[in-house]
Amino acid sequence: MSRKLGALVLALGILVGAMGIKTVLSSNSKGTTMKANGPAPLPIPPPKQTTAQSN
Amino acid sequence: MPGPIDLIIWSLGTAFELLFVVCSLARKSFLRYFFLNLYLLLSTTVSIGRFFILRSYGQCSVQYMYFYYYSDALLTLALFVALISLYSHVFGELRVGDYVRWGAVFLLLGTAGFSYAVVAQSAERLSTSFAYELSQNLYFVGLVLTYILWGAVMKLRETRTRLVQIILSLGLYFSGYAASYALMNFSGEFSIIRYICPALGCFLPLSWSLTMLRYTDESRLAPASLVAVPR
Repeated sequence: MSRKLGALVLALGILVGAMGIKTVLSSNSKGTTMKANGPAPLPIPPPKQTTAQSN
Repeated sequence: MPGPIDLIIWSLGTAFELLFVVCSLARKSFLRYFFLNLYLLLSTTVSIGRFFILRSYGQCSVQYMYFYYYSDALLTLALFVALISLYSHVFGELRVGDYVRWGAVFLLLGTAGFSYAVVAQSAERLSTSFAYELSQNLYFVGLVLTYILWGAVMKLRETRTRLVQIILSLGLYFSGYAASYALMNFSGEFSIIRYICPALGCFLPLSWSLTMLRYTDESRLAPASLVAVPR
């Protein structure tokens, strides 16, 4: 049980670190896409997220 | 259609991906590095699929965009599994396989949950945004995981040459992408930097293939010079 808990804490730490790096690198972002797989040319950017209106 | 330089880099990258699989088969290491082979086989298939869709609909088409981002999410997931398999190789002798598997599952679920939380407010095309966000977030998780693995390799004084070089190549690949991503944010998409990303896509399969060709599973790194301990 303690090992599973340790794995969970480690996973959370890694996730926080990864999202921290992402935030730092994209602080001046112009909407650049991170492509990490293969040498294929980039397509057009994905559709912008439109936030749902809450009534 | 993309320019001739893009096409040359693309075809070279796909050829290198296939080369790694061929080298693994020739060296009888296909099953030992099964998940690396699976990732590169999947990448080759996706590359061919992307080419046909790009030729049929064009680079700025919606069809190419959807196929690209969904396949990219799938490939990033395969790369994540390949990375976890490298963890199993490194920590295999410590018998912490269950620990690694649980960690990987928690991490994947955490990343998926975080990505969902980011796109949950999206009113339309939730699945597309989710695939895109998951792919981007998993990439950064992979970056951190690779550095941690490299730290473990140093700490455990790993001497298996093949394994060390495969992990080192992966670290350089992730670092190169992170650097080019940061540079692209400053310089824009239409500079020389846009060729760096596809070129990096060629680097990983080429370096893995060379490692597979040059070294066997029995190859070991020369141990560092012994520290003289005063008696």
